[in-house]
Amino acid sequence: MSDAAQALPISLPHQAPDEPPELSYNAEARLLWWVRGRTVAASLNQVLATARLRASLVVVLSVLFWYGLFRLFVGGFDFLHLAIGHDATYDQTVQAIYNVFFASLMMMLLLSSGIILYGGLYCSDEAEFLLTTPIRPERIVLHKFQEAIVFSSWGFLLLGSPMLVAYGLHANAPWYYFALLPVFMGAFVYIPGGAGAIICMVFIHQLARMKRHFVVLTSLAVGVATLLFGWSLLGRTEGDLLTPVWFQEMLSRLQFSEHRFLPSWWLSAGLLEAAHNRTTPAGRASWAESLLFLSLLISNALFFRVLAVAVGARIYRASYSELRTDRTRRQPRPGFWLDRLVMKLPLLAAPMRLLIVKDLRLFRRDPVQWSQFLIFFGLLTLYFANIRRFSYDVNYTAWVNMISFLNLAVVGLILSTFTTRFIFPMLSLEGRRFWILCMLPVRREAILWSKFLFAAAGATLPCCGLILLSDLMLGISSLVLVIHQLTCVLLCVGLAGIAVGLGAKMPDLREESPSKIAAGFGGTLSLVVSAFYIIVVVLLTALPSHFYVATEQLDVRPAWVPAWLIAGTLAACAVGAVATVVPMRMGLSAFRKLEF
Amino acid sequence: MIEFDHVTRRYGDKVAVSELTLEIPRGELFAFLGPNGAGKTTTIKLIVGLLRPSSGSIRLCGHDVTGGGRAANRLLGYVPDVPYLYDKLTGREFLQFIAEMYGLDRRATTEKIAEQVDTFGLHDFVDDLTESYSHGMKQRLAFAAALLHDPKVLVIDEPMVGLDPRSVRLIKDLLRAKSAAGQTTFMSTHLLAIAEEIADRVGIVDQGQLKFLGTIDQLREALSSNEQSLEQLYLSFTAAPADADASSTRADALPAWAQQEPIE
Repeated sequence: MSDAAQALPISLPHQAPDEPPELSYNAEARLLWWVRGRTVAASLNQVLATARLRASLVVVLSVLFWYGLFRLFVGGFDFLHLAIGHDATYDQTVQAIYNVFFASLMMMLLLSSGIILYGGLYCSDEAEFLLTTPIRPERIVLHKFQEAIVFSSWGFLLLGSPMLVAYGLHANAPWYYFALLPVFMGAFVYIPGGAGAIICMVFIHQLARMKRHFVVLTSLAVGVATLLFGWSLLGRTEGDLLTPVWFQEMLSRLQFSEHRFLPSWWLSAGLLEAAHNRTTPAGRASWAESLLFLSLLISNALFFRVLAVAVGARIYRASYSELRTDRTRRQPRPGFWLDRLVMKLPLLAAPMRLLIVKDLRLFRRDPVQWSQFLIFFGLLTLYFANIRRFSYDVNYTAWVNMISFLNLAVVGLILSTFTTRFIFPMLSLEGRRFWILCMLPVRREAILWSKFLFAAAGATLPCCGLILLSDLMLGISSLVLVIHQLTCVLLCVGLAGIAVGLGAKMPDLREESPSKIAAGFGGTLSLVVSAFYIIVVVLLTALPSHFYVATEQLDVRPAWVPAWLIAGTLAACAVGAVATVVPMRMGLSAFRKLEF
Repeated sequence: MIEFDHVTRRYGDKVAVSELTLEIPRGELFAFLGPNGAGKTTTIKLIVGLLRPSSGSIRLCGHDVTGGGRAANRLLGYVPDVPYLYDKLTGREFLQFIAEMYGLDRRATTEKIAEQVDTFGLHDFVDDLTESYSHGMKQRLAFAAALLHDPKVLVIDEPMVGLDPRSVRLIKDLLRAKSAAGQTTFMSTHLLAIAEEIADRVGIVDQGQLKFLGTIDQLREALSSNEQSLEQLYLSFTAAPADADASSTRADALPAWAQQEPIE
């Protein structure tokens, strides 16, 4: 290998060994970017050399998934435009949807970037290594912050970009709307990402000084404030569903998302201005107005970046040390009731129960996992618990039925992000400890089945509970309720099968970061397959049940409706069995041959 | 070169390092011995700046490690017990990364890498991705990286773990040679024989407290006067509480210098 080909981008004057030079801030940045570039290049080379088919499949499926979402949003915007009719009201509606969508996303990005950065800064081997080198701590923070931004926002880019492109095409937006899209999105994600990073570091820094009861009280206060906020949002509406009164009330209730200080509002306002070639009430061209919002986003993104770096320079090293030596909060609870319950489960072999208890303990003791689980499922519980407050009229049974299935799909989609993020990497994360599992006096299949049972049972209990809550609040018929529960079980079992099976088929035993494993080819494939699976299963049960409910008012229900309902349910069961068995078989086969 | 001044580090209620006062001069090879959980790795993490003392201070070549430690880190080479290497870099790329991080210019980088590749016998695998390395190969590369910039202080946590006998011999000779050339080495180890063979001074630590501090000659003197093997001597200093009475009897029999003697 030639030296020129490998030359690093930095050149410094030679100095005496006893006077080691200090690397400039920019040189440190270039050095870490060089490592990142080499890592990506080596990974791509490996994939292209050893797994071309797999890589092509993932790319094709991702493109198909993106295109499917794009078509869905195009259809959605067409429907909305047709249903509303009036252009000004349509624009107002789109703006309201954008405001709420981006405001919710902002909160999610804030939380997820903070949680991912916690893993990157305080739990990763790379951060520990870099802290022993002369690299500035603020540079390490920035290095890990950039990673956290990528890992926390790729879902936003995957889901948000088809919606924004679809809107642009629907609104006949000029070319610069499409050109500005990535800049807007990039600037936007930096703001909640930066805020999440600052909150993460300050929280960890203060954690060691805070008394336990103070932490508990603060968490309770935050929880109560969130509940009150949710209550105020979902308070009872006075008008009937989808009437102008109801619509105005909903818009006024969501007005918080139009607050002028919210970056999400800057984003939606900037994008909508860019999409229209008109003059604003202030007399400015809309493209100029759009650039104004973009400047606001970029300047704030840079501000949060500078602030995060400054906070990192000041407290990162100290907080790292404090966290690593704070043992008072790490006392595991021996004999936890759940562990005892699992150990008493009948029909399961003792080694299997032990393996499940091990995974349960790892889950409980990893705040990154359970905190995300609690946040997302807590928000869903809040939404479902208040769903009746929307005052659905009995005349809207078809709508109610549709909403109940949409709720089911949402639970499935959120669950699929969890199975991809946490279940798919489970086997890979055994990593260096893998030999312990393989040397256990149990068949290898038992290890994989234990992970499957852990994932399926862990998903089924909260998801079925949530769907039951949603259905009870919506007051749907008992038949649909039973179909929902069955569909939910199918989703949980199938998603567990996909994540565990593909995780065993495509393990990465050298990677220690679950977010990197999930963001790899295998994780992306798992997510795409999971999304397809959810759509197919929900459609198979939702469509016939929709017609079944819609024809309830008729004197004579057509005979094909119940037959379709039964056929759809059976087909969903068959798809569920295939989605569980095929990946698990693939995983078991690969796992048997896996060398360690 | 390395100065500990009443350094204490607590983990919650547990004291991992207690009032450690110690000075390791230039060119000394110091071996830190102790049972598992005695505080050896905590002490090492304090030196390299990963942890900060609860109280007291550490100076490395005159630089305060506790306040941030970047200046100190530039003078330091560190080999942890489980070295971190970037999986998707080759060994040569990793060495280049380290060389640039410590400010070596391109010519010096090329020369130094060639020298380290020769010294540690990395020829066969230095251009492979490090993810394919065995533990011993990783350890050799980690040593090469730590010594690449001629650090004034070398800190090693369990240096011989996973190395083959030839590599062990190589590391021992290298550490002695570096020590003779003026490099200070702070090494934690479980292997008494290695400490006995190459260390200038040893410190025996247990439950965070320095129980013994002295030169190898002083240790040998104690060994002959008490007719104990090095292993017995070590065990007597690091006895479990249940054995305290028996071990204290044996420890009391030692000369005064062999009992804890913080250096001013």
